[in-house]
Amino acid sequence: MATKQVQTTCAYCGAGCQIMFTVDTDKNKIVNAVPAKGRTNDGTLCLKGHYGWDFINDPQILTKRITKPMIRKGGKKSALTEVSWDEAIKYVADRLTAIKKEYGPDSIMCTGSARGPGNEANYIMQKFARACIGTNNVDHCARV
Amino acid sequence: MGVHEIEDAKLIFNFGYNGADSHPIVQRRIVRAKQKGATIICADPRVTEAARIADVHLQLKGGTNIALVNAMCNVIYNEGLVDQHFIDTMSVDYDAFVEIIKKYTPEYAETICKVPAELIRKAARMYAKAPSAMILYGMGVCQFGQAVDVVKALGSLALMTGNYGKPASGIGPVRGQNNVQGACDMGALPNNYPGYQNVTNPDVQAKFEKAWGVKLSNKVGVPLTHVPQRVLEEKDPAKKLHAYYIFGEDPAQSDPDVAEIRETLEKLDFVIVQDIFMNKTAEFADVILPSTSWNEHDGVYSCCDRGFQRIRKVVEPPSTVKTDWEIICEISTAMGYKMKYKNTEEIWNELIDLCPNFAGATYEKIEKYGCIQWPCRSKDMNDKGTVFLHNGKFATADGKGKFYTAEWRPPQELENEEYPLSFSTVREVGHYSVRTMTGNCRMLRNLEDEPGWIQMNPADCEKLHIKHGDLVKVMNKRGWCITRCNATERVAKGATYMTYQWWIGCCNELTIGSNLDPVSNTPEYKYCNCRVEKIDDQAAAWDYVNNEYKDLRSRMGIKMIGEEA
Repeated sequence: MATKQVQTTCAYCGAGCQIMFTVDTDKNKIVNAVPAKGRTNDGTLCLKGHYGWDFINDPQILTKRITKPMIRKGGKKSALTEVSWDEAIKYVADRLTAIKKEYGPDSIMCTGSARGPGNEANYIMQKFARACIGTNNVDHCARV
Repeated sequence: MGVHEIEDAKLIFNFGYNGADSHPIVQRRIVRAKQKGATIICADPRVTEAARIADVHLQLKGGTNIALVNAMCNVIYNEGLVDQHFIDTMSVDYDAFVEIIKKYTPEYAETICKVPAELIRKAARMYAKAPSAMILYGMGVCQFGQAVDVVKALGSLALMTGNYGKPASGIGPVRGQNNVQGACDMGALPNNYPGYQNVTNPDVQAKFEKAWGVKLSNKVGVPLTHVPQRVLEEKDPAKKLHAYYIFGEDPAQSDPDVAEIRETLEKLDFVIVQDIFMNKTAEFADVILPSTSWNEHDGVYSCCDRGFQRIRKVVEPPSTVKTDWEIICEISTAMGYKMKYKNTEEIWNELIDLCPNFAGATYEKIEKYGCIQWPCRSKDMNDKGTVFLHNGKFATADGKGKFYTAEWRPPQELENEEYPLSFSTVREVGHYSVRTMTGNCRMLRNLEDEPGWIQMNPADCEKLHIKHGDLVKVMNKRGWCITRCNATERVAKGATYMTYQWWIGCCNELTIGSNLDPVSNTPEYKYCNCRVEKIDDQAAAWDYVNNEYKDLRSRMGIKMIGEEA
């Protein structure tokens, strides 16, 4: 089994603990997680840090991983249809463009994400809202 | 302040913060501080782990925070325990502050908070006399209709005792979600560009217009918690929302009054959900865009003490998903505003050059030192960031700390004859947020699963003839759910608490979405009323729970054993 070790920051609270993952690179699977020495966690982890990565294996306990873009082609409440990325991107761009044209940029609301995506994705989302849509309607769940 | 400083504190005032459940690794520092001899004061309506190790536990009634803080300030003022030199040289607006706290004698506060006046005196003296004292607060302060007032009052308590600018002092919010600091840092806020630069400031606007090559709006945007009102009630067509692009959030599970959220999502013309898992919000989406998860992409998170740390790709994502930033860039480009980046470092370099407080925090430096606490203004490798934000002088225009407090306002929805108990949301130790991640981890699922619990005082349980473990119905005028009764002396009579993680025992069916803090727009998750009802046919109730769970999983795309894949 070929393995590698990768250190990263835990995604489960604002403490910012450092985790060292061992990965089976042949199977592309995490083998285990151990605490790494970070400024805030000092070589310790809580339950979520130790065991909170299994969802990546998509064990389908509560809900299922989404792997394909999907559109409700028959309108609201119709079934979701898997589509190509090109179709999904074009569909979103066309609908948002039409709504912006009809009701103005402030009729569109965007969220950031305080969870997994990271700072760069949040920067890109607010830049999209401000520079592409033309609105400051962007916020995230800091309040919830 | 930094998380590592907590264990060197001489005194910790732990206010509305239950680290043992929400941040166990921060709680560990509090325990270690205690072992090293620190005094602990805990203000919390429940007997939390922090309360158990506290020298003084101020078990106040929910929704009365500011009355307690004002009373502690009152004692410190009246007993001459203030740091007059610090007040004279380092602060403004002291007199107006004193005018308000004068009224809040411990005896007066006792009538509101239900904490004995002598205990308030004892805690105030302990806090004021400590050589240095650190305040840690959490959602028990922030999630009320009166929240920002309390934060400022706690800041004033530290100010009047000179508890700033020295190690293990000051006031620290211990923020809930892993990257809530980062989302704020990056300007995912309706009033700020990245780096807390205001959208109404013309110089800032001009800077971003030049960098992004486009005209920008100077109108403050809509806060997330105003979305239902802007969809359901807004009469002005210019203010009505028609489209909602939801990224890495599940408002149909996480936001208050989820019945209203569902109605909102149904009414919107166009809903985009970009996420890693199917969730309750995705049921209302017109389009779903699959993205990479934590451990499948690179980037930076900001931890609760302003520390930038790297996240790294640990495993390869499924071949058919894209990173969040790639998806957004492609949509933007398709709409005529081109965005294209090679990697996250290129995005990071663009943004730090637009934010003076982040300008020095390069990937190279974060890699080398592990963590950079902003402000970090120079790219010079010797600028390793800033541990104390208020070092020597305050980060205000005149360099001084501003005193502020306010009169106590009761929560909006109080107990009444029909709904005689108070209701508050709290956290689960083994699960996180809306549980799409931890609910799909086998080990964590074994710890705790649906339909969650409602914490109640045994005396209240006895009155209702229910016992520990029984399924009960919890309701108020907004909604209801079924959950299990957890009879525990840790909560006071008349008060109930539900953890926020359960999809069937969904506390947000009951929470109130209308009483927002006027400054932060945070909803009052920590207070509304409810009634708990005994269910006579427990077997039927368990059937209901099990069928609901089965139905939910099937709606989330899970094929049951025996069904075709």
